[in-house]
Amino acid sequence: MKKLSTASKLYLVLVFVVLYAPIFYLIFYSFNSGGNMNHFESFTLEHYQAVFADSRLIIILINTVIVALLSGFLATLIGTFGAIGIVSIRNKKMRNTLLSLNNVLIVSPDVVIGASFLILFTLIGIKLGFTSVLISHVAFSIPIVVLMVLPKLLAMNTTLIDAALDLGATKRQVLTRVILPYIQPGIFAGFFLAMTYSLDDFAVTFFVTGNGFSTLSVEIYSMARAGISLTVNAISGLVFLVTILVVIGYYFVTNRSKHVSKEVQR
Amino acid sequence: MRSLVQAAIAILVVCALLFFAAHQLESRGSAGSQDTITVFNWGEYIDPDLIDQFTEETGIKVIYETFDSNEAMKTKIEQGGSAYDVAVPSEYMVEMMIEDELLLPIDHSKLPNLKNIDPYFLDLAFDPGNQYSIPYFWGTVGIVFNPTLVEDHLTFTTWEDLWDPSLQDKVFLVDGAREVMGMGLNSLGESLNSKDEALLQQATEKLISLSPNIKAIIGDEITPLMINNEATVALTWSGQAADMMWENEDLDFAVPEEGSNLWFDNFVIPKTAGNVDGAHAFINFMLDAENSAQNNDYVGYSTPNLAAMALMDPEVIEDERFYPSEELRDKLEVYENLGLEWLGKYNEYFLEFKMSLQ
Repeated sequence: MKKLSTASKLYLVLVFVVLYAPIFYLIFYSFNSGGNMNHFESFTLEHYQAVFADSRLIIILINTVIVALLSGFLATLIGTFGAIGIVSIRNKKMRNTLLSLNNVLIVSPDVVIGASFLILFTLIGIKLGFTSVLISHVAFSIPIVVLMVLPKLLAMNTTLIDAALDLGATKRQVLTRVILPYIQPGIFAGFFLAMTYSLDDFAVTFFVTGNGFSTLSVEIYSMARAGISLTVNAISGLVFLVTILVVIGYYFVTNRSKHVSKEVQR
Repeated sequence: MRSLVQAAIAILVVCALLFFAAHQLESRGSAGSQDTITVFNWGEYIDPDLIDQFTEETGIKVIYETFDSNEAMKTKIEQGGSAYDVAVPSEYMVEMMIEDELLLPIDHSKLPNLKNIDPYFLDLAFDPGNQYSIPYFWGTVGIVFNPTLVEDHLTFTTWEDLWDPSLQDKVFLVDGAREVMGMGLNSLGESLNSKDEALLQQATEKLISLSPNIKAIIGDEITPLMINNEATVALTWSGQAADMMWENEDLDFAVPEEGSNLWFDNFVIPKTAGNVDGAHAFINFMLDAENSAQNNDYVGYSTPNLAAMALMDPEVIEDERFYPSEELRDKLEVYENLGLEWLGKYNEYFLEFKMSLQ
């Protein structure tokens, strides 16, 4: 790679500063003993203690992570097979229609999705709470997974499958030994993206929570209505930390799977 | 493929662990006893310290939720999503909830502290014998005004003062048919529960003659306007007036002598209650003289609790603006349920009055 000029380096630094400054500003003040974000008095961990002392808040944090993990998992499961299904359709028109339908779901506003889920759930009598939030998160994550898995599938040489079949592999073996290992990086990418979507979703969740069940984004919203306290900063800082950990985890997983797929190709 | 399966298993194990952790936390939250009650109250309408004290004394954990209108509260209770054990509706809503069979009868033998309540506030028309409700706070409808902005001779001890020509374009009214029509009827010296078409007609005409003085008919927005000296005179509830006077010491409040409305917020036990004994314990706890005095100090509305009044600052309970003399108290009336037909007529006349405003 060509070496970057000083000007482009400076530009790059500037971009990252602009992107990260608000987050670090918020985290910085979460250690403020002053009680507001106007001026920094002295270092304290009391806001973090307040978060951990509030078992309701911790339960909400745990619930948020459970919903993110589970909805990511289910959406990846459904989305991956959906993508394989879409690719295997021979009729080009049909395939494009399905893809477009998938993309419409990605671009349609969260508010619309949330409101329609609320109507659906009340209509068929699903009680608002954990189940309703999980189902809606799975639903809006599936199109994202499909979109992440699809390029890998399209990049795959179909002769690989033909060769496997010629060598006597069953359909099941083709799937588990050839297709899935090949598209594995896409599957992981889909999972992590679905998870982050679920973690930060507010609009859809806002519509379908109820009966005391709440996720972090909704809770922070209602806390902020009563005036931003530094507890909000502290919990946002914690979530940021969790996100960083997820990214690091993603980095390690993809590195390893690249390794694996090379072995398969060999 | 193996790493995919491994990842899937890892995710599910983490989920299970987190589920377990959340479950542990939830059960630890109600440590010692599985007893909890859910209290559904207006915002800022209880001293939060009392909730902790209650849990300490009885071991019953309190889940506290708030609502901002009687109607919203009724809807949530009707939906039955959550099991509320204690709610605090106003008196007309108590009547509606009794009619809709949303309430459980209250067992007076479990409320020894009921004796603290002034008998004057018991056994009222909206709930004879207090079968379903126990008064929590009460108040009146009156006039809040800014003495620095009105002429000295206006004391608002009579409704007539609102008609004073010096108040042109200065009077704010609350947007409620019962309140405004009641004021019209009261200013004629009639009952605010009148069921007489001719009287209503007369009251409406009287109100229409007030229209040059009226600046606006609004809701809760009046509070900041009065506090910031941007409004001069307003028809409002005593509780709201007390809030305004807390923020702006210049303001004054008066209940006109011709009579006015008397309202109550009451403890009730909704039909959805899961812990009826706990609900009774909570109501009894709040009726205790000391607790009630402490609560009143925090909330600042008028309490019906005689024993608590004995413990309170005499300056507060001798304030005739919020604890009217018996003479005036006799002229105050609780809104009666007029029935749909007459309620419709009140609304119609109120609309006619509103239409007359430019």
